[in-house]
Amino acid sequence: MHLRSFAVTAALTAFISVFSAQSPCAAQSFVDVAVEVDRLINEETQPSEINRCDDETFVRRVYLDVVGQLPSLDDILVFGLEDHPDKRRFLLEFVLDDQDYGTNWANYWRDVITYRRTNDQSQLGVLAFQQYLAESLNENKPWDEIARDLITASGDIRENGETGLIAAQQGRPEETVSEISRIFMGIQIQCAQCHDHPTDQWTRQQFHELAAFFPRVAMRPQMDPRTFLVYAIDRTPRNRRQNNNNRFIGTLEHNMPNLENPAEEGPVITPKFFMNDKEVVIGTSDASRRSTLADWVTDSNNQWFAKAVTNRMWSELVGEGFCEPVDDLGPDRDVTAPEAFDYLAGQFAASGYDLKWLIATIMSTESYQRESRDRRNYDEVPFQANVPQPLRSDQLFDSLLNVFELEEKPPTSNAQGPNPFNLRNVPRFGFANVFGYDPNNLREEVSTSIPQALAMMNSTFINQQLNAAPNSVLGKLLREVPDNQQAVKELYLRVLSRRPNRSELNTSLTYIRQVGDRSEAFADLIWALINTTEFKTRK
Amino acid sequence: MSGFLGAHDTIRDWNALMKIKNSRQEINRRTALTAGSVGALSMLNWKLPIIANAAQIKANAKSCILLWMGGGPSQFETWDPKSGHSNGGETQSVQTSIPGVNLAMGLKETASIADELCIIRSMNGPEGSHPRASYVTQTGYLPTASVKYPAIGSHVAQHLGDADANLPSFVRIGNTRNSAKAGLLGVDFDPFLLSSAERLPDNTQIQTTESRYKRRLGLLNQLEDDASDDGSKKAVIANRKLYGKASRMILSPEMDAFDLSKESPSSREAYGDGSFAAGCLMARRLVETGVTFVEVASSNWDTHFDNFSRTTDLCAEVDLPFAQLVRDLKQRGMLDSTLVVWLGEFGRTPRINGRGGRDHYPRAYSMAMAGCGIKGGQVIGQTDDGGVEITDRPVKVNDLLHTLYTVLGVEPEFENLSSIGRPIKIVENGSLIDGVM
Repeated sequence: MHLRSFAVTAALTAFISVFSAQSPCAAQSFVDVAVEVDRLINEETQPSEINRCDDETFVRRVYLDVVGQLPSLDDILVFGLEDHPDKRRFLLEFVLDDQDYGTNWANYWRDVITYRRTNDQSQLGVLAFQQYLAESLNENKPWDEIARDLITASGDIRENGETGLIAAQQGRPEETVSEISRIFMGIQIQCAQCHDHPTDQWTRQQFHELAAFFPRVAMRPQMDPRTFLVYAIDRTPRNRRQNNNNRFIGTLEHNMPNLENPAEEGPVITPKFFMNDKEVVIGTSDASRRSTLADWVTDSNNQWFAKAVTNRMWSELVGEGFCEPVDDLGPDRDVTAPEAFDYLAGQFAASGYDLKWLIATIMSTESYQRESRDRRNYDEVPFQANVPQPLRSDQLFDSLLNVFELEEKPPTSNAQGPNPFNLRNVPRFGFANVFGYDPNNLREEVSTSIPQALAMMNSTFINQQLNAAPNSVLGKLLREVPDNQQAVKELYLRVLSRRPNRSELNTSLTYIRQVGDRSEAFADLIWALINTTEFKTRK
Repeated sequence: MSGFLGAHDTIRDWNALMKIKNSRQEINRRTALTAGSVGALSMLNWKLPIIANAAQIKANAKSCILLWMGGGPSQFETWDPKSGHSNGGETQSVQTSIPGVNLAMGLKETASIADELCIIRSMNGPEGSHPRASYVTQTGYLPTASVKYPAIGSHVAQHLGDADANLPSFVRIGNTRNSAKAGLLGVDFDPFLLSSAERLPDNTQIQTTESRYKRRLGLLNQLEDDASDDGSKKAVIANRKLYGKASRMILSPEMDAFDLSKESPSSREAYGDGSFAAGCLMARRLVETGVTFVEVASSNWDTHFDNFSRTTDLCAEVDLPFAQLVRDLKQRGMLDSTLVVWLGEFGRTPRINGRGGRDHYPRAYSMAMAGCGIKGGQVIGQTDDGGVEITDRPVKVNDLLHTLYTVLGVEPEFENLSSIGRPIKIVENGSLIDGVM
């Protein structure tokens, strides 16, 4: 974790050109696109009466959204004092340039993909997967290239992080293509696995034609070091023994199971892509099948490729998607503000699938920058305010590290210890066992759990930080800030990234007085603040 | 398609159910708010909202204890010995009180409670790898990326659990790799996890004095009231409710159920030694306190080598605690309302391999259950002399699940909705096993 500090005006302005120069294609200025998106949304919904959020809220929101951490006290104060009219744009350009941008969104995409794993053994490769994602995002690799990497990957899952998506499904064709379709196109074609889709136009035949791009892929175990290979065959294997229905070896072609008689092999299916009705012939090599599929999924004529990720990013940042759930799109779905959605997705495609451009654009809209309000009821007007989001496990973990100024030992493969499957030894993953949630699910359905409350209230990790040891955050605060009012204000900035209002200040000061013991009272105050809803929420 | 047409009615029912659920939540919210304002008035003396004694309410409800034999227990060394056949290996058998029915010698104690047991020797499962077979046994479905299917305990907790009880409705004790959780039902129905019955559950010990702890909670409530933000009222209410519930739990007298030192030495002794024994005793304490579903894991049944000596040890860990659990429940009048299930993800091969071990075998294996109106003293199904094939009354995993839910009074074909609105039955294509009840 780096201590980030926000520089003064002169240095700030320098970032303007840096960022726009980075965009590979002749993308429209993200600021102009944001203005047009707002205009369309106004037209398609109604003008919002909610104000822009204040600076303190904005800084914390941007930091949590982009780097997944809290702003430093200096960052908040400097930004508040700065009076340049474009300072919000400078801030988000500045933060998007930080290496923690890649880390934060790698954590997000890791969760999008691994929460849906059907194979826990794939967790063996999760660190490599995370690293691949973070590096790709930081170098701003275009989204179509990332998609291609994930669709065509092979190799050792602990070495080659590109294998993460396939490994999560053990390379099983049906599950793997379902995930490719869901993640990259927002199409839930898997519902057509056993019967024609009830609410969409997709047929069972089309589902299995998609699966037919993947029959040759499998995941083969390796001992010493313990790992798995994502591995494809192009010839009939000598040993076709399937060990306990583990998918250790693929088959040359895909057979569509006969549901009446599962023991029967079922007809061989020609790989065919349901979006463009093009096919590759039976017998085509694995490499050619998968790269053809990657070509077609990422083709600029396939509007769903840009739409799926645009909808996700919008939903993560504004709090409400154009389509919900975020991964359920397609021609037969209801869309909020469809013109704005088409326009934004189209501009994202025109940018060369530039993810930083997309994020900067969304964050420049008024829709993003408004105050947040509780999620609307279904009969209320959409997109009138930003919607508070529960922090993802990594964001909460990092926020706690920020508050207490703790460093995380970066997890390495060695941290996995003698049992490489045991990720609980990595504190971040142990924390995620309790605080993690599947980011594909509707955010309103993400609820907090009793073990979470117990961990926040009673874990020794947190309570150790409240001992007022001389070098702890609390110890330093007590020593360096003798004035109680000043110290309360500083704590609020540190934990909630804002100053306390008058009642909060009064309550805190009264509490300190009543308790008597200053160190005990401030320990209780930190304890209370990190247990507030506000601390655990990005608002 | 017809399945989906039929489902529309269910969706309507589901909406009606949700309305009821929501109005219930409103009431709870109001209670929580009132409780909060009490705290706000007197910060230094935070009051816990008083609720009715959950154990009282649950006195007549059904409960379930699932003894999970992780790794796949050998049927030859437990419920279906084949002494006399070469596939039976060195394992001797012991007579039970059921005429003509023998168990493997390792289950000597268990043999003495056979009158209470319904033993199934004709289980047939679809999968032979640990993760997939465990998942299918605990959920009734193969794993899919799009739908996370709930575990048995999660369904039972949803239907039979008391949402206002101080303790969680679903507790899982021991090392349970490959175990499903609440999935699409949401975290409210996740298992409350204990890595071992021999120490208290994580983070349930307050780190300060109780009075300071309550004072802190009062401060938290007051500061949340003071915050002027009007953008997250719903979340603040939910947070307050959650902290109220978590605090009630850890300060409640029911927490004693997790503390085996409260048990008399003689009753600890009756269950025997070891962590599985401790888990069984804790399961009885939890059910007695009103917990709906308790899972206790014994996890080393994957005997690919030295099967005979290892299963001898494993049986020694499991035999007495299981028998004593059933006896204890019976003695306390709890067996009629408590279903005890002994089950693993599959069985083991009839052939003994070159390393004296047995490998995975889902084709024909055994399980046992007792209590809750189950007809004891019977064996359902049988295998041939070598234990290779089922020769009578095959029981599929989904038949077993269908039966367990039915015995507990949970409608097995109840439908929940997936995140994209697909109706998902608790169990599909299962049917009640004849003669169990």
